[in-house]
Amino acid sequence: MIKQLSLALMMAGLVTTAYAATEADVEASFNPYKNGVPSVAGLSAGAVITKANVEQFKDALAVGIYKMIKEGYYEVKVGATTQFEMNKAYVEATKKNLNTAKLGANNGDITGFVAGRPFPEEPDLNDPRAGEKLAWNYKYGVNWGDNAAIYPFFWKYRNMETGELERTIMMNMHFLNFKHRVQDAPVPEITPNPSDLFRAIYVKVLEPQDLKNTQLLIQRYDDDQKLDDAYLYLGFQRRVRRLATGQTTDAFLGSDLMIEDFEGYNGRVSDMKWTYKGTKTVLLPMWNHNDLKLTDEFKDRDGYKYVSFGGKGECFFDGTWQLRKTYVLEATPVNTNHPVSKRVFYMDAQLGNLNGAVEVYDRKGELWKVWTVGKSHPDHHLPLNKGAGIGIDDAFSMVDVQSKHCTTGQFKGQVDAKLNPADMFQVQFMRGGD
Amino acid sequence: MKWYPNKKPPTARLHVAVLTAALAGPAIAGGLPDLGGDTRPWDVDIYYENHTAHRGKDATGKTVGLAKFRNTMQVEADKRLAGGWGFHGVLRGTWDGVYRMNKGEFGEDAGGPIMLNNVSGAGGSTSVAHGAGVVNNGSGPPGNAFGFDINANPNDGMRVLGDRWHSIVPGDVAFGVPVRPCDEDKRGCRDFGGYGDLSLSELEMPEFNDRLDFIREAYVKKNISLDNGNNLFLKLGKQQVVWGRTDLFRVLDVINPVDYSRNNIYDELQDIRIPMWIAQAEYRMGPSESMQDRNLQIVWNVDKFRPNNLGQCGSPNAILDAGCFFRGMANLWDNGGTVANFANGTTATDFGPHQIGIRDVDLPDWSLSNTQLGIKFEGVTQGGLSFSLNALTYRSQLPSLRGLVTGPTNPFTGAPKTAAETNLIAFDVHYPRVNLIGGSMDFEAEAIGAAVRLEGAFTQGEEFANTARERLYSENNVFRGVIGIDRPTFISWINPRRTTLISAQLFWQHIFDHEYYKKGSRVAPSGAVNAFGPVGMPDWKDNFIGTVLIKAFLMNDRLSPELIIARDFRSRTHAIAPKVEWSVTDNLKLVVGANFKGGSNSRNRFDDCRSCNPYAPYTGTAADVGYSAGLASYEPLGRFRAGPIGVSMYEDDIFFMMRYKF
Repeated sequence: MIKQLSLALMMAGLVTTAYAATEADVEASFNPYKNGVPSVAGLSAGAVITKANVEQFKDALAVGIYKMIKEGYYEVKVGATTQFEMNKAYVEATKKNLNTAKLGANNGDITGFVAGRPFPEEPDLNDPRAGEKLAWNYKYGVNWGDNAAIYPFFWKYRNMETGELERTIMMNMHFLNFKHRVQDAPVPEITPNPSDLFRAIYVKVLEPQDLKNTQLLIQRYDDDQKLDDAYLYLGFQRRVRRLATGQTTDAFLGSDLMIEDFEGYNGRVSDMKWTYKGTKTVLLPMWNHNDLKLTDEFKDRDGYKYVSFGGKGECFFDGTWQLRKTYVLEATPVNTNHPVSKRVFYMDAQLGNLNGAVEVYDRKGELWKVWTVGKSHPDHHLPLNKGAGIGIDDAFSMVDVQSKHCTTGQFKGQVDAKLNPADMFQVQFMRGGD
Repeated sequence: MKWYPNKKPPTARLHVAVLTAALAGPAIAGGLPDLGGDTRPWDVDIYYENHTAHRGKDATGKTVGLAKFRNTMQVEADKRLAGGWGFHGVLRGTWDGVYRMNKGEFGEDAGGPIMLNNVSGAGGSTSVAHGAGVVNNGSGPPGNAFGFDINANPNDGMRVLGDRWHSIVPGDVAFGVPVRPCDEDKRGCRDFGGYGDLSLSELEMPEFNDRLDFIREAYVKKNISLDNGNNLFLKLGKQQVVWGRTDLFRVLDVINPVDYSRNNIYDELQDIRIPMWIAQAEYRMGPSESMQDRNLQIVWNVDKFRPNNLGQCGSPNAILDAGCFFRGMANLWDNGGTVANFANGTTATDFGPHQIGIRDVDLPDWSLSNTQLGIKFEGVTQGGLSFSLNALTYRSQLPSLRGLVTGPTNPFTGAPKTAAETNLIAFDVHYPRVNLIGGSMDFEAEAIGAAVRLEGAFTQGEEFANTARERLYSENNVFRGVIGIDRPTFISWINPRRTTLISAQLFWQHIFDHEYYKKGSRVAPSGAVNAFGPVGMPDWKDNFIGTVLIKAFLMNDRLSPELIIARDFRSRTHAIAPKVEWSVTDNLKLVVGANFKGGSNSRNRFDDCRSCNPYAPYTGTAADVGYSAGLASYEPLGRFRAGPIGVSMYEDDIFFMMRYKF
């Protein structure tokens, strides 16, 4: 049925390229399952996809996940498709500002955007800039909302062949939207904002000893053509260093993630050539945190338990996957020296997130990393997240399939404005520590 | 180490006052930081580190052997306190076994009897033992005061000044330097501000002293939100305050002195800055309509003055070999001694006490006017350019040797120095006040994929050796600047997936009103010229040092080879420091590395003031007093031309380090 709808929209796209979105488009964008959830024969809740039956479900799997199952690294447990109702203020902002956002002449140019989802209409394969519009929907997506923190955030580096745990990093990661805010005061913008920043991410490492007090600050301008400002505070140097561009595509703290991988994609729209490849029903890792098998390994002070891991080398989270409507989106770096030749995203149509399933290809065009971030429904997570209307990132697995190495992540995501004061996202804040 | 043994240190009271002020809750704080006031537990980390180094041959051709067996325990503790305050403390204790394990080089058996050059051959030999100078009380003019008591200054436990870093050139000036710990041999022991008079136990356990250096850091901090939306950040206690954007060089990063005795210039600055009792306040204004970030910082260093620790003579790390020069000179003042090739520039001479050398070290006492004050404005512009403007009034952390006006004895007559006698090689050590203004900035150069760092400072009040001046020093303004470029670069044969960091810096130092007379260009009243060589300031008018760091990251950054190359262009010497770090686990890190030096010190000689003619008519015509003919040696001023790299030319170390977190 979804495919039929896509076809219909594609036909419409052949007729007109200046499509004006309607409130019905908004409704369909945020509630793609109004008329029913997608289904694939044999993939009802409780089903398990293993090496033995993976071929049967190949079409319902992202390419990377398919390979993981086929290699016998991981088994996917299927859960029921559930509604991730979007943040109401964000939906309202979308409606209020419908059709105000327009692409400019160049990739990375946008005008008229105020707040909400800038291009809620169904993407059109005949629209050469459909991929770019989806990228904007991601950039200005609800993501972590106006402000949130992963507090704390545990990363583990593992040898996938042996399962050896090489490193455990404990950090706090904070997010703040300076502009296009929809819910938390001040709305719509934190002022003064002379540099016209759109968003910032602040990271502080708590463990281990050689990385302790390392801090990272990324400031993203609203003008997508402007390069991000990135700063690193090294605990042993006690100085803030400005990061050069190349360092955002390096392994962050030696992990299998680069800064550009954060949240699925953490870069400018203009850094990539975006191509919409079609709409597809695939399994994405989305669940109710409180219904999962959880671990108490970190002995959280508040009794919070984290998503547990298993599979080959303990590189894969023990979460359930559900059939989702996704937009397949390819991003090819504009910079030919980029270490990545292509990323393929399976963008969740409802949430607008990119990170449910991602494939990363190396310069030679060979699959390099398989990247998945599992999300919890906010109403089945920490009590303070209830009603947030945000898919709470809950666990990640980044597998380097070439070196057989992985980095895993266990989140305690908290949608709490108090954890993210604006001054935390200034360079000076990094100098105020030890 | 003794700090004003007869006085109760007022700074101790002030430190207590500073902490008490914080702990007692200033009105603005709105609460008392109570160490037990927060139920959250202490966050404590404990580390052990072993650093073992082996050193190759010094300039005498003898292998030094073990140069470090340093064992360090460090405890870092954090606690959230009531009222929004936080406490951070670092305790460190070190025991370096090198003084016992290699005592023939650095401990109680170091040194021995020495021979000094007597190139004239007068007295029958071109080499004489310490105490057997050809010019002495017996051979000098009637009434002279040459000669010294060999029992007070015996020919044992000594080395020839500079024999670690340069060959002993026939005809050069030199003298003996006691090298054993000061409880073993008190000769020439002076407190230069934390070094120079240390016993064996104080050398091997340097943190346990009267300044409580085992407390590396102990401060409380709080961020106070003000009604106008700005923040006031306070940090009070013993701490490090870091300014600037430069690696390795200290242009703006001069608030805390540095302990070079720990590992010369090769330890992280974090580990060798000497924390001071400081009150720091930052008024954080955040963004404005025209700037993205604004911050005003005031730093008040209320601690009693401490200079850089340059390393005691006889210890493995005596940067610039300065500690040996000082100790040898102090011994000459106290006891007299034999100086090679002094009389006529060719004949070994036995000076008596109080004729040449270093008399006193004037360490600034604690007083309000001797505290140090800094102010910095740090901001980020709308376009993302980060910058700082800095000003600091402080005491020079390097010693200045000022020639004595009164006090020395004329060795030819035994009479007190007269006003006519200038350019005497007899000094007191001072730490003059210095005023600094400077700034720094960094930005991203997208076109070359690099981050660019700039830093500069202008100082007024620094003092330099100057053989053209009556008191052998001059005060000169100085500009120092650094440009640094950090470029992550893909080097496929190192790691095709991860950039290798290439960081290059160029340091420039310019001395204003630099005084330097080329050979033959300085004309004395008699018409004589400096026929033997240049005179004036040994420091280069313009000096440049370049550094390149190449650091690779392998095995998920757990294995990191790096190479640092530093070149002092004027001294024509360089250091090459390869190192590999391996994080075996989260708690265990191993490091192996080395530092090798190369180049040539052959140009690093300078007027040694043997020909300064201080005692007319015995040393020259009265009209030409103070006009040096420029007779030059490596010692004592060649070290200022050689710099830290050139002077450590024969300190090639290989090392192993292990750090474990419990």
